[in-house]
Amino acid sequence: MSAAHFGAAVSRNEDARLLTGQALFVDDVQLEGMLHAAFLRSDYAHARITNLDVSAAQESEGVVAVYTAADLGEYWQPGPLLVPPQPIERLEFHCATQVPLAKDKVRHVGEPIAVVVARSRYEAEDALPLIRVELEPLPAVANPVAALEPDAPRIHEQFESNLAAHAIQEKGDYASIVDQAALVVRRHLDHDRGASAPMENRGVVASWDRKCGELTVWDTTQAPIPIRNGLARMLGLPETQVRVIAPFIGGGFGPKIMMFYPEEVLLPWVTMQLGQPVKWIEDRQESFFATTQERSQVHDAELAVDAEGRILGVRDVFVYDAGAYNPYGLTLPINTQCTLLGPYEVPNYYTEFRAAFTNKPIVSPIRGAGRQPGVFVMERLLDIAARELGIDVMEIRRRNFLPPDAFPHDHGIIYQDSASLVYDSGNYLPALERAAEMIDYHRFLDETQPALRAEGRHVGIGIVSYVEGTGIGPYEGARVSIEPSGRVNLATGVGTQGQGHFTSFAQIAADQLGVEVADVEVVTGDTGKFHWGTGTFASRGAVVAGNACHAAAVALREKILEQAAQELEAATADLELVAGTARVKEAPERSIAFGELAVRANPLRGGVKPGTEPGLEATAYFGPEKGSTASGVHAMIVEVDPETAMVDVQRYVVVHDCGKVINPTIVRGQIIGGVAHGIGNCFYEQLVFDENAQLQNASFMDYLIPTATDVPPVDTDHIETPSPFNPLGIKGAGEAGAIPTNPLFAQAVENALQVPGLEVLEMPLSPNRLFELLCAAREAD
Amino acid sequence: MEIQSEFVFNGSRDDLWANLLDPTVLAKALPGTKLELVEEDRYEGQMEATVGPVTAARFDVTIELVDKVAPESFTMRVDGKGAAGFTKGTALVQLAEQGPTETLMKYTADLQVGGRIAGVGQRLLDSVANSMSRQGLEAINRHLQGEAPAEAAAPLQLLSRPVLAAIAVVIIVAVLLVVLL
Repeated sequence: MSAAHFGAAVSRNEDARLLTGQALFVDDVQLEGMLHAAFLRSDYAHARITNLDVSAAQESEGVVAVYTAADLGEYWQPGPLLVPPQPIERLEFHCATQVPLAKDKVRHVGEPIAVVVARSRYEAEDALPLIRVELEPLPAVANPVAALEPDAPRIHEQFESNLAAHAIQEKGDYASIVDQAALVVRRHLDHDRGASAPMENRGVVASWDRKCGELTVWDTTQAPIPIRNGLARMLGLPETQVRVIAPFIGGGFGPKIMMFYPEEVLLPWVTMQLGQPVKWIEDRQESFFATTQERSQVHDAELAVDAEGRILGVRDVFVYDAGAYNPYGLTLPINTQCTLLGPYEVPNYYTEFRAAFTNKPIVSPIRGAGRQPGVFVMERLLDIAARELGIDVMEIRRRNFLPPDAFPHDHGIIYQDSASLVYDSGNYLPALERAAEMIDYHRFLDETQPALRAEGRHVGIGIVSYVEGTGIGPYEGARVSIEPSGRVNLATGVGTQGQGHFTSFAQIAADQLGVEVADVEVVTGDTGKFHWGTGTFASRGAVVAGNACHAAAVALREKILEQAAQELEAATADLELVAGTARVKEAPERSIAFGELAVRANPLRGGVKPGTEPGLEATAYFGPEKGSTASGVHAMIVEVDPETAMVDVQRYVVVHDCGKVINPTIVRGQIIGGVAHGIGNCFYEQLVFDENAQLQNASFMDYLIPTATDVPPVDTDHIETPSPFNPLGIKGAGEAGAIPTNPLFAQAVENALQVPGLEVLEMPLSPNRLFELLCAAREAD
Repeated sequence: MEIQSEFVFNGSRDDLWANLLDPTVLAKALPGTKLELVEEDRYEGQMEATVGPVTAARFDVTIELVDKVAPESFTMRVDGKGAAGFTKGTALVQLAEQGPTETLMKYTADLQVGGRIAGVGQRLLDSVANSMSRQGLEAINRHLQGEAPAEAAAPLQLLSRPVLAAIAVVIIVAVLLVVLL
């Protein structure tokens, strides 16, 4: 086996299609007789539906049907709980999932109340205002802490309060060491919400073929197979008669792993009612209300260290904002609990959270998925401890890193995959040193910064570390086959939202089969092509599906060798696979092309040996027992204007360790995209709700996302610490770029301004908010 | 959202009060509005904001006048709902004599705004609401001074019989206009 392709910066198989406009996105699907859906959504964050009359809308020009909750009959069911509660002792969990259309009550602005189906989207939207809906407003609650007050408006009547969950996880005994600490840093830290803002919003096209009894759904989901399984169950169809296709998708970033959104559940039902295909494409404004959001958490945290800055323990108590419903269970707050520990030795840890229902859109993972608030807490507390003890921020991290011989490292608390949090492998110091070298950390502090300060410029540096648990189970699969034409096909169940799977999976297979990367045709996210699997989330595509592709390609390689050995009358050990042929190593002229082998492996007449499987095809699955823990160090140089509080990010360095790298160009792209996302999260992107839980900035005019001019060039480097938990040694890379940006930005801004008392303990920041913090610090000084 | 402002009219307070009650005057100042007096001091109707031939937003509006103290002050309770969202709240209008031919109007509105309007127009709501209110008030002032009332600058269709609730409606129109921007 050669390894020519794995690890090489191969250009992407999918780019030609994407760049020439040949890639199919959901909105490209055009079917004969296709109808269009538009949703009537609540303007109120919390209200009782007292009357709903759709008769005028039904009469509107072009309207084919209008449906409300009452029309759905038995089909009206709350969505499934997607992630069952993790097995944490004494866990309290209350589950309330979203419904297809609101029946008695609406619980957040944008919750759908009715759907209009018309010949065109224009006609559907024109009919929306004709629906007479009477909503009796109820007091709403936006703030998760306020939502847990005893007199807060109750969002779900079946529960005694708005408490969605309460969990405590412990490692060691924090209370027993806190008195021995040389320093205890206590802070209140605040993390607010943002949107995922993908380039392509959500969309669904559903088409029911009555004669074949077959439902086809094109969906921007990150999890086509679970959607197929769920729709089949809900609609009473055999799974084989439901095909869900997640074609090219313009960015997932997490909200598309949220499953059974109302629109996703309704359109398949509507097409079966009407016998005509129906399309819904979320518009940008809808996406601010109808697509899940993330990251509001409020922490009260403390860090206990000894006189040298070594961590004795951490105590963190936080409130997590679940939004109006909690179908995604506890993945996010548990990720926060687990990721907070970072790359550090933390012998004693007490972590407790309460999840609160609020009258805001549903919360589910967005790139980073609960990890950001945890990393923010830990890194900020370390920075403050370093300052109090007079230690350099790099030094305090160095002193606390888990050493390379500490792995696998079991933290003994429960992670999002319901298993104990185990770091598979890691080597943190080289990344810190490499990042410091790349950004010239010491010289910056010793020479550059003082010189710039003498010119009156406020330029600062930051450097932080993080880990990310990636590549969790349960499993993925892949099928690799060779056609009589000689082409290699690879199909896997995970969907692709721009991660480069068409190339990285092809690289893995190409090495085993001795073909070029471009010769491997990869299909992802089509249940008609491969129908086992779970989905694209938790930075697991490369790790879990990648290893499944590897296993399938290895099995196919064996099959080819055996078949060729018979045909060439040679021992398998004497054969090699080169350029789409099998040949005898010592006598390369004795060869047979894969296509010819494939023809012979599928005879049309005559007999075969008992037990023969036809064709050149192999299917395999991979399920890691544990995930793999990626890690990294980010460093940044910023210049802050102390008058306007504008921040200019001038340099950005990432040293990243995601184990064995399949394709450095793709990983680099993932990292840079993540950094852009992270910069948005720390300085631009904040969803602002008023006290009535009305979103104040539901457009890109007011909800700012970083543009090309706001994101500096990012210098990247890789450290490879292979994962021992999967054959290819891979760790995930999809979310990493976005995870540590917040504390990094905070540290760099403080370092630039050097105003005593200025502590950035909230995210996102904005020039306005930074200005307020600055003024407060100057006043207090 | 809170709107607070004042405006000086060139006319006596009694004249102004009468004008504020005169639907023909207010019709000129309040474009795109159709209101009916359904009972004493309670008006219901629709407002339409149109751009060219397109109806961009339609609001059902209820306005109630309370605490009317002629010719000094009144409070309006406003409730507007439409496809673009809703607005709800109160506005207090006070008239003070500044001389025989000058009257100071102070108005304070506290409006809850929800739905799409809240989401897209927040940054502009204040300034647009203020400038729209001003346009309406200037139209009334011109009438008060005996000039022919100018057409309001807003691209809205005038339908019929608006009434005393002038300012509230102007504010809602302003809110609507924000949606169009």
